Amino acid sequence: MAIDTVTESDLDISQLVDKPWVTIVWDDPVNLMSYVTYVFVKLFGFTQEHAHELMMQVHNEGRTAVTTGSREEMERDVQRLHEHGLWATLQRDDKI
Amino acid sequence: MSEFTRSGGIYSLELSIDEAHILINLVEQLLELLGEGDFSHHYDESDPFAQLMAQLKAAPDEIAPPEDPVLLRLLPNAYADPEAAADFRRYTEPTLRGRKKRTLTQVREALAVIVDEDRGGVVEDLEGEIWLMAINDLRLALSVRLEINPESFDLFETLSDEDPQKPIYAVYFWLGWLQESLLNLLAGG
Repeated sequence: MAIDTVTESDLDISQLVDKPWVTIVWDDPVNLMSYVTYVFVKLFGFTQEHAHELMMQVHNEGRTAVTTGSREEMERDVQRLHEHGLWATLQRDDKI
Repeated sequence: MSEFTRSGGIYSLELSIDEAHILINLVEQLLELLGEGDFSHHYDESDPFAQLMAQLKAAPDEIAPPEDPVLLRLLPNAYADPEAAADFRRYTEPTLRGRKKRTLTQVREALAVIVDEDRGGVVEDLEGEIWLMAINDLRLALSVRLEINPESFDLFETLSDEDPQKPIYAVYFWLGWLQESLLNLLAGG
């Protein structure tokens, strides 16, 4: 079906569109697990369950992506996480 | 041991005079490290916590990543790439620094009410969210100086009472306990 065919020029255009960025939270031995969960709920409006799951990923895997969006949005998220003392960085989402 | 309490939506914290002194000293030292020195101190320079925290003084409007590891933990790089991190820091670090200073200043003012009368007592009607962030920053600052790692609590328990580090570890773990008591109230809705 022609409508689904991806052409080379389509790929080029996708490169120009703002590629998604991700905010990564890194594990540290200081922030309490309950505090990290609390901050995720407060800043991002996650459910308690989702926030807990993300906190456990940080704890067990050393890092996890917590939010995805434009670069500006992720910079704002990183700054709010820093304000709360969490160790966060942003980067392009390599998986996309 | 002191803990946060809540009654009718009002948060309070009862502290002994020693606890209030320890807290206000740490808050003031962290404020100074963040470049806020415009207040009269409740500690003198022989205070072991003062010596611990004031090993390095920060320049107030630093753009390069801070050399002090405590400041680097409180004001971390947002990007792995040094150039992107420096750009981000240039535009955002003063705001972040300012917010942290405001938070700590609010806690300092609330503590000063009881400390200035040289007594312990209840810090009444405190801002739970503000205290939560301030205590977290104090713990982060102490953790850098103590090089906290997952084995630190076991180490603390084996330290002799004469070890000069022991009281500092004790304060660090006390702050964690205090923070947990506040979190239970805040997260409990």
